[in-house]
Amino acid sequence: MLYMLDILSNQMRDNVSKFEEYRRGNSSKILFIIVCVVLLLIAALVSLSVGTRIGFGRTAEVVFNHLTGVTYPKRSPEWWEDYYIFQNVMPEVVVAIIAGAGLAVTGVIMQSIMNNPLADPYTTGISSGASLGAVTAIIMGYTFSSIAGEMGIVSNAFIGAMVPALIIILLSKRVGNSPATIILIGTAISYFFNALTTLIMITADSEALQSAYMWQIGSVAGVSWSSIPLMLVIVTASSIFAILLSRSLNLMTLGDESARSLGMDAERLRMVCIMVSSFLIASIVSYTGIIGFVGLVSPHIVRFVVGSDNRFVIPASIVAGALLLTVALMLSRLLNSFGYIPIGVVVSFIGAPIFLYLVVRDKSGREIW
Amino acid sequence: MVNSKSLQKKMYLSSARKKIMFILLCAILTVIVFIYYLKVGFYSTTMSDIFEIISAHFTGKEVDYQADLIIWGKRIPRAIMAVFCGASLAVGGAVIQTVLRNPLTDSYTTGISSGAFLGVTLFLILDISLIPSAQNLSLVFNAFLFSLIPVAAILVVSGKKRVTASRLILTGIAVMYLFSATSTLLMVSTDHETLSEAYSWRIGTLANTGWISVPIVVTVTVICILFLFSKSREFNIVSAGEKVAQSLGVNSKKVTVMALIVVAFMTASSVSFTGTIGFVGLVAPHISRIFIGSDCRYLIPASAFVGALFLLSMDAIAKVSGDLGLPVGVISALIGAPLFVIILVKNKKTAWDI
Repeated sequence: MLYMLDILSNQMRDNVSKFEEYRRGNSSKILFIIVCVVLLLIAALVSLSVGTRIGFGRTAEVVFNHLTGVTYPKRSPEWWEDYYIFQNVMPEVVVAIIAGAGLAVTGVIMQSIMNNPLADPYTTGISSGASLGAVTAIIMGYTFSSIAGEMGIVSNAFIGAMVPALIIILLSKRVGNSPATIILIGTAISYFFNALTTLIMITADSEALQSAYMWQIGSVAGVSWSSIPLMLVIVTASSIFAILLSRSLNLMTLGDESARSLGMDAERLRMVCIMVSSFLIASIVSYTGIIGFVGLVSPHIVRFVVGSDNRFVIPASIVAGALLLTVALMLSRLLNSFGYIPIGVVVSFIGAPIFLYLVVRDKSGREIW
Repeated sequence: MVNSKSLQKKMYLSSARKKIMFILLCAILTVIVFIYYLKVGFYSTTMSDIFEIISAHFTGKEVDYQADLIIWGKRIPRAIMAVFCGASLAVGGAVIQTVLRNPLTDSYTTGISSGAFLGVTLFLILDISLIPSAQNLSLVFNAFLFSLIPVAAILVVSGKKRVTASRLILTGIAVMYLFSATSTLLMVSTDHETLSEAYSWRIGTLANTGWISVPIVVTVTVICILFLFSKSREFNIVSAGEKVAQSLGVNSKKVTVMALIVVAFMTASSVSFTGTIGFVGLVAPHISRIFIGSDCRYLIPASAFVGALFLLSMDAIAKVSGDLGLPVGVISALIGAPLFVIILVKNKKTAWDI
C-alpha cells in the first residue's frame, strides 16, 4: 500500500516537473519571438539610414520627430530629409517587413497542409502564374485590365497568380485533394505556365528578356506607399487567420486520417488554406516579384529553435521572415554603391549559411519536421 | 486455404505480367518513335534513304554528303541523346522520390541544376573554367564539376551521426539557394546578351548534340540504371520507412546517400551536355507510378522507357515547331503538363495515397 502511494506521489512529482519544464520551454520560445521583434525594429531603423547620406542618429531623430508630429517649413533641408526618408526609403522597408512576414506564414501553412518539408508558398504554382502575367505585360505590353505602365504589370501579376489556385480548386472536385494530388497538380501547372513564360521570353529581344528576368528575381526597390495598404490588410488578416488555426494545422501534420478521427475536416481546411494563401501571396508578388527562400526556409530555421508546434512556429516565423527580409534589404542597400544587388539574392546569401549551420550543428537528431 | 493461396499467387502473377506488358509496350513505342524521329524535320527523307545511310556507315558505301551530314551527323546522335537523357532523368526522379518518400522531388533535388548553372554562368560571364585546356568542352566540364558540389555537401553532412532524410535534402536545398543566388548575381551584373545566352542554356535543349557526347552519356546512363535496378529491393524497403528498414536489416541512410550519389552522377553527366531539361524527371516517374504502382523492380524500368519515349516524342515535336525549333523543355511542359493532369484526373489516384 505504502509502496503504491510512493509510486503515485513519484508520478505526480514527475508530472509537476514536466509541466514546469513545459512552461519553461514556452517562456524561452516567447523570448525568442521577442528578441526577433527587437532585432526587427533595429534592422528596420538601420536600413532606413544605410545607403543614404543621412546618418543613423539623424535618421532616428527624423523618424521620431515625424511620429511626434513635428513639422518643418517646406523645402527646408530638414523637410527634404523627412521627405526622402518617408517617401523613398520607408516604403521599401515596410514592404520588406510585410512581404517577409507574409511569405513566411504562407510557408508554414503550406508545409503543414501538404505535410511536406519541401513545400513553400509557390508550391501550388502561384509564382509561375504571376510570372506569366508580369512577363506578358513587360514583353508583349499586353495587360488584362488595360491599365498601362507599372500598375499594368502589378494587376497582370495579381490576376495571373490567382489562376493556378482556381485550377486546383476546380480540379480537386474531380480528383480529391490529398496532399500528393495537389502537389502534383500544382507542379504540373507550374511547369506549364513557366513554359509559356519561357516561350515569351525566348522570342523577346535580349533587353526585354533582361527586364523580365529582373522582375522574376524579386525586388522591393521603387515601391511607393500606394502599394502598401492592400498588402498590409491581406497579410495581417491572413496571419491572424493562421494563428487562430494553428491547432488545426498541427492536426493536419498527423495526416488526413488522424485529423478526421479527431473530428476535423482536413480536406476542407486544406482548400480554405490554399485560397487564403494564394490571395496573400498574390498581393505580395505582384508588387515585389518572386522572392524565393524566405517562405521555404524561415519556418525551418524557426523550428530549430521553437520545435514544431504551430502555435509557436507561426508567430515566430512571421517575425523571423520579416527580420530575414529586412536584414536582406539593409545589406542590399548597403552594397548598392558597388552595384545593384536584388534583395532576393541577398536573402539567399544570408539565409542559406545560417540554415546550413543549423542543420550541421544540431545534434539532437530529433525529426523537427 | 490452399486454393486461396494459389489464387493470390495467380493474381500476383497476372498483375506482374501486366506490368511487364506495360514496360514492353513503352519499349516498342520508343523504337517506333525513334525511327519516325529520324524521318521528321526540316530536311525530309524517306525510310529507305535512312536505312541506306545507316548501312553505308557499316559497309563503307558512298552516299549523298548532305543527307549523310543531316541524318548521321545530326539526327541520330540527337535521337540517341533524347532516349538516354529521358531515361536517366526519369530513373533518377523515380529513385529519388522513392528513397526520400517525397513526390515533390526529382533528379535535380540534390542541387544539380543550380550547381551546373553556376558552372555555366562562371564560364560565360567571368570566363572562369576549371579545365581551360578542354576548349569547346570547358563549359561541359564546368557544368559537370560544379553540379557535383551540392551532392558533396550532402555527403559531408550525412557523415554526421543522426541525420534524417529530410535534413539531408534540406542541406541540398540550402546549397542550391546559395548557388543560384550566386549565379543570379552574375546574371544581374552582366550585359543583356550574355544573360540571354546563359538563360537559354538553363532552359535546356537537345539541338546542339553531336556524336562527341553520345558515348559518355550512353555508357554512364546504362551502367547507373543497371546499378540502380539491382538495388531496387533495397529502395522498396527504404520507402517503407526508417523503422521498417531497420528491422529488416537495411541501413536506410546508407542506401539513401548511395542513391543520391549515383543519381547525381548520372544526371550531371547528361545535364552538362544538354542544359537543365525539366519536367520529364518529375513527371515520367509519376505517370509510371499511376500505371504500375510503386514497386521499384517495375518502376525503374518503366520510368526509363516512359522517360525515353516522352523526351523523344517531345523533341520530335520541338524540332519541327517554329522556324529554328523550340527548346524541348518548353514543349515537354506545354504538352506534358495537361497530359499529366488528364491522366491524374482519369485515374483518380497517384499511387502515393494508397
